[in-house]
Amino acid sequence: MPKARLIDVSKCMACRACQVACKQWNELPAERTTQRGTYENPPELSGRTWIKVEFRERPGEWLFRAHTCMHCTDASCQKVCPTGAISHQGEVVMIDQKWCIGCGYCVQACPFNVPHKDEETGTARKCRFCIDRITNGLAPACATTCPPGAIRFGEREDLLVTARQRVQALKANGSPNATLYGEYEMGGLHTLYVLTDRPSVFGLPEAPQLATTTVWAQWLSGAIAAGVIAVLPFWLLFRRRKQIEAERESRVEGGTR
Amino acid sequence: MIAWGAPIWIYLWMAGMAGGAYFAAFLAERFAGIVDRRLLRLATYIGIPLAVVGVLLLVVDLGNPIRFWHLFTQFKVISPMSMGTWILLAWVGIAIILAILWWVENFLTEDVARSLRRTTERLSWVNLVFAVLLIAYTGVLLSVSNQPLWASTALLPSLFVASAVSTGVAMLVLAATAANTVSKGNLIELRMALDQLFGSKDWTIPSRTVARLAEADVILIIVEMVVLIGYAIWLAVSSMAGAGEALRLLTTGVLAAPFWVGVVLLALLIPLGLDIANWGKEIETKTVRRAIITSSTCVVLGGLILRAVIVIGGQL
Repeated sequence: MPKARLIDVSKCMACRACQVACKQWNELPAERTTQRGTYENPPELSGRTWIKVEFRERPGEWLFRAHTCMHCTDASCQKVCPTGAISHQGEVVMIDQKWCIGCGYCVQACPFNVPHKDEETGTARKCRFCIDRITNGLAPACATTCPPGAIRFGEREDLLVTARQRVQALKANGSPNATLYGEYEMGGLHTLYVLTDRPSVFGLPEAPQLATTTVWAQWLSGAIAAGVIAVLPFWLLFRRRKQIEAERESRVEGGTR
Repeated sequence: MIAWGAPIWIYLWMAGMAGGAYFAAFLAERFAGIVDRRLLRLATYIGIPLAVVGVLLLVVDLGNPIRFWHLFTQFKVISPMSMGTWILLAWVGIAIILAILWWVENFLTEDVARSLRRTTERLSWVNLVFAVLLIAYTGVLLSVSNQPLWASTALLPSLFVASAVSTGVAMLVLAATAANTVSKGNLIELRMALDQLFGSKDWTIPSRTVARLAEADVILIIVEMVVLIGYAIWLAVSSMAGAGEALRLLTTGVLAAPFWVGVVLLALLIPLGLDIANWGKEIETKTVRRAIITSSTCVVLGGLILRAVIVIGGQL
């Protein structure tokens, strides 16, 4: 039975304990940042910040969402990785730090902007779902520490049941657009969200796409362009030259006769 | 955060130009029925250093350059970067073999040379296929991603193919002009080296061929403009989140100056105007030659700016 993590944004109080716990367990260095007029810090995920609470404000309300790897079933990063450094280990999407060459393709391919290149290691890095913890019967550090229980870890099926109930409760209590995110997206995510509003309000794509969905159409696009160009201008202009020369030759031959 | 910086867009430009010049030279000589492969040799000799320098830029840009060989442990059809690795290896490898075979011909008797030439011909056909794959891949690499500017349409590979062949032709025009200048100059050592490379004392590109290439670039620029307009419209109407914003980044946003001046004017309108003004004119006159050199330089530089605008724009 696959495990998952459920992040209920309605319970998040933006204490950012998940960020600290993640840094501690994974021995990730702090980042030097500048005051940007917000408690939201650091500004974005990086090679050394694998979970981060995003702050969004609208009249009368703060919206918080812990942003981290979704551990997609159909993972764009894994599909495009040219060295095979990215693989599924059970439900976990892992970047093999000893094999990654730091090309940055996963950074461009991820629909959730999760993997980032780290200058120090020269590799792409991101949340590993605390694979060392979960394979030893523990929950990930972020879920273990979360004081209000906004991040929970467990069987994916169980969490989906919990999440659906929670969405119903939120809908009945002033959040008509409340929704469950991640059940079917990218073949099923292993980071599920209970959202109090539409996904785009929380900076999540409404319809995330696998980067490689259009790969054959894209190759075809290049091939068609090459085919068109072969005819126009090359066949048009240079074949004409051959004809002109042939005509000239025949004219010369005609003259000598 | 910009993960792909200057080395990437310079590389995409160089690899495109290398493949584009080969594609153009091969087709021009085939269709015209020219058998001495002078233009194809010229394209190959420019293409090899362009592609090799481009690849070096790529490797240096890796987070772990010494691990680059990990790329050669995979053959992943779904990953354009994996395919690109093999396409580049094949194209550069065959181009180098072609260069060696052409050079070896110098030392053979006519009978042996003729049979060798048949092999060289077949190999040059194979490399035409790899040239097409190479120029297409520079676009596919970007479009298989989740950046709206790159992935919202299916026209980026077409745009890059058109630009690659256009810059390749411009590069051929510049190289042909340079070669013709060398042939009249007094750099005897360089001339002797070129005699060896081209296997003949006469390796100048006929001015009619250069003029025809300049005309070809007019049509290529028009094709590129049509694709660019289609690409912009597709972005504007795309339902993918962020596609409209990505387009506005180019037309009115922070990249508006390089886009309008560098791409629209430099790569498209200025060379188009210059080439149309000189269409069908004798290239021997100094003013016409100067105009063609100017327009080709604009195309080459504009192609670089196009890659820069698209690569940077996709990551903002």
